[in-house]
Amino acid sequence: MVDSGTGLCLTERQLDERSAAATVQLRRRGVRAGDTVLICLGVGPDLLVATDAVIAAGGIVWPIPPELDAPRLRERMLASCARLMISDLPHALEAAKESRVRLVVSVADLRAYPAGREISTESDRAGP
Amino acid sequence: MTPHVQHNLPAEPNRFVGRDRDVAELTALVHDERVVTLCGVGGIGKTRLSLRVAATALPGFADGVWLVQLARLDDPGLVLREMTGVLGVREEGPGRLLDGLRARLSGARTLILLDNCEHLVESCAELVAGLIADCPQLRFLLTSREPLRIPGELVWRVPPLDLPDERHPDAESVLLFVERAAAAGARAVTGGTAGVTRLCRALDGLPLALELAAARTSVLDPGRIADRIDDRLGDRFRLLTTGDRTAHARQRTLLATVEWSHDLLQEGERVLLRRLSVFAGRFDLDLAEQVCAGPGLRQGDVLDLLSGLVDKSLVLHHGGGGRYHLLETIRHYAAGRLRESGEEPMLRRRHLRVVCAEMERCYEGGSLERRLPWPERAVHFARGRALLGDCQSAVDWAVESGAAELGLRLARAALAILAVRGDLRESVGWHERLLRLDLSDVPADVVAVAKGALAYALETRDELARAAELIEESIEEQRRHPYTHWLGVTYSVALTVFFRLGRGDTALRHLRELEEATAEHDDLFNMATARIARLNLALFQGQPRQARRIGEEALALARESGHHWTLARVLTHLGTVAEASGDLEAAMRHHTAALPLLEELDNLVELARCRALAARVAALRHDFPAARSNVAAGLALSRKAGSRGGVVRALVTLSVLAQAEGDLDGAVLAAAAAGALRESIGQHDVPARTQELLSSARDKLGEGRVALLWATGAQQDPAAVAGRILDQATLPPAAAAGAAVRELRHVTLTPREREIAVLLTRGLSNRACAAELVISPATVARHVANIMEKLGLTSRAQIAVWAAEHERENPSS
Repeated sequence: MVDSGTGLCLTERQLDERSAAATVQLRRRGVRAGDTVLICLGVGPDLLVATDAVIAAGGIVWPIPPELDAPRLRERMLASCARLMISDLPHALEAAKESRVRLVVSVADLRAYPAGREISTESDRAGP
Repeated sequence: MTPHVQHNLPAEPNRFVGRDRDVAELTALVHDERVVTLCGVGGIGKTRLSLRVAATALPGFADGVWLVQLARLDDPGLVLREMTGVLGVREEGPGRLLDGLRARLSGARTLILLDNCEHLVESCAELVAGLIADCPQLRFLLTSREPLRIPGELVWRVPPLDLPDERHPDAESVLLFVERAAAAGARAVTGGTAGVTRLCRALDGLPLALELAAARTSVLDPGRIADRIDDRLGDRFRLLTTGDRTAHARQRTLLATVEWSHDLLQEGERVLLRRLSVFAGRFDLDLAEQVCAGPGLRQGDVLDLLSGLVDKSLVLHHGGGGRYHLLETIRHYAAGRLRESGEEPMLRRRHLRVVCAEMERCYEGGSLERRLPWPERAVHFARGRALLGDCQSAVDWAVESGAAELGLRLARAALAILAVRGDLRESVGWHERLLRLDLSDVPADVVAVAKGALAYALETRDELARAAELIEESIEEQRRHPYTHWLGVTYSVALTVFFRLGRGDTALRHLRELEEATAEHDDLFNMATARIARLNLALFQGQPRQARRIGEEALALARESGHHWTLARVLTHLGTVAEASGDLEAAMRHHTAALPLLEELDNLVELARCRALAARVAALRHDFPAARSNVAAGLALSRKAGSRGGVVRALVTLSVLAQAEGDLDGAVLAAAAAGALRESIGQHDVPARTQELLSSARDKLGEGRVALLWATGAQQDPAAVAGRILDQATLPPAAAAGAAVRELRHVTLTPREREIAVLLTRGLSNRACAAELVISPATVARHVANIMEKLGLTSRAQIAVWAAEHERENPSS
């Protein structure tokens, strides 16, 4: 696929590889078959990888358009009852504070890391 | 068999309700992740959840699970001290605390739970980041309103309890409310009623709010409580701007509930609650009465009012010991009310006075009583130890309000408790801060004793020059006043300091002064100390028979006084004397008698030393199993206390053991490791024993081999060197169990998963695999994920490699 905005390409092989790695990361963080997972990402390769990964983990994808205003973001997040959200967007992280989301996973978190290396989390970036 | 894991987690005060899946997932996460931070607003149940997770995770942490509560600390510099205090790490010298903590935790499979980090985020972040970098097996679980924002931190947001709806009338919040209401004696409250559902929703599923409301249901109906909370939220917060309205909804709900619960209290309960906020930790009825009674509160009413607060879930009661404490959110609220009432200075002044008086009573009963059976003495030490948290905040107030005399008297009394435990580092900070205050109104003898007390602590940290200066001033002034036990203590510190400084004449003069003064005033404790000094002197001068005679006098004095610390010190010295006279059997008997005494005193430093002494004697007697078990126990204690001096001693003992067993290689290795560690803590002299060992080893093994062994031992990890010698013989059962056999993971892939793994070796995409197997690409992706999980792999490429190898090895399967 080609991202119309950035022109970035993602081959089928890359998609398979990245979503497989992402699935492992999601399961490590407790995603189980039947769980709802929020995805709040702009349209692009990352959204595709995240969606495939959630499906492969047996989860239910609950996408939220990042363009929504804060009250509607909060409302949809709360309605999902999701335990986990995939997002990099500060306003989505803020909105998730009133939801039942326990863990926020970033796109970087979804990439596989060699065993033993630290994973980075929202705390790395979520500065004031 | 459940393995016994050391921990300091408190027993749960009541049943834990809900959050089953959260607990299970977090228990897995704390094993995998270095740092897990439970984030959320006050009252959402972070602390309770963290304690539950820590307790569930116990079996995975062979080296212990430790709770460190930070809520009461207001100085970021104290985080390290609090943590080392809980872990039992003792300071070896100024600025060495962190080294000690690293020594303790490197290689240890330990979980540390830091509770309430929010007000100390920066210092927690620095400390945690540093420790996880140095200690690969260490894990942290934190609770905080804010994340630490360090690399490797997994932020886990604690949600409120699930709320009821039409399909789930028995949601977690309802279960908690009904459980607690029943415990409070409300019979009619059941789940599924409209009132309960409405209340749980009004309270946002916040556990603390639910507990406070449930405590009132014997009087008020749940629906009515919901109305009151709603009204209150409306009144108070109607004017808040809409911008951050929802962001703080939970805090507002909680505050409204706490206020509501508070406003329902009778006046007396309100007064007591706000006054209780001055306690640093747990308190008992007696302390509460002494500190809180006063204008507006009769002492005789405190018990009833306290019970009322417990019934309303505002104060928690820990059965058995009759101790109470306030949840952090409530204490914070109560402290706010105390400030508003203008009573804070009065209360803190009284807290300081009461804690000082209590501590002085403990000191008098524990140390000053000349003749007292040990069990009666021990009670005072136990009580004094329980008061140390309050001492800290009382000293803080003394410094803040310039109450130098009370502060110094408190620090003086606390020194007696701390010294018996072998840990004076808190005392240094207290004395230094207090001695900087305006001392013009303080009696000169109090200041003089304080200087002596500070010198005492400084000597244990090797700050001899400063100690010497203080001690001269202290003795000079104390002599102008009637004799006290403290002058005796100051003399004995003086002779240690001056001997160590090489000023033997001054030291001997002080020893004579000590002997004269203590004999004249029947001060048994210090008389025994003087005898121990004489014993050391006789031993140093090569007169073991003389030393033994003095030691036996000291033993009689210790027995007469009934003080176990004195007794233990005399016994270990008698053991050393017996060893020097070649009576190894007597030496072993003395050391063995001292061990249980030191264990009871929780004096890790002296206990480790005594273990090492006993191990050396056992080695010389060729009782190798006893030598091994003692040196291993001593080494473990020194590691636990973070004492590198103790590790050096253990290595030297191991060297003696190896030599006695004829293992010269091991003896040289251990001596080399000890030497390297000794240099790293600034001791550069080579003991005579090492030189003798090396020359005898050179004769037998040759120059080259000894040099090689020395270089190897100096570079090796002390633990590895120790392990080499300790493992020579059969391990004791406990150690064998520790070396658990790694469970082999049997991997079984389903036939379909194997098929897909093989297809991946051909480099096929999910879609191509799907076409080949006539299934959907999503199904292929799920199988790929399952394979990765089973095999612990992180990419499709790894599956392909694994499958290729597996096919080669097991072409048939």
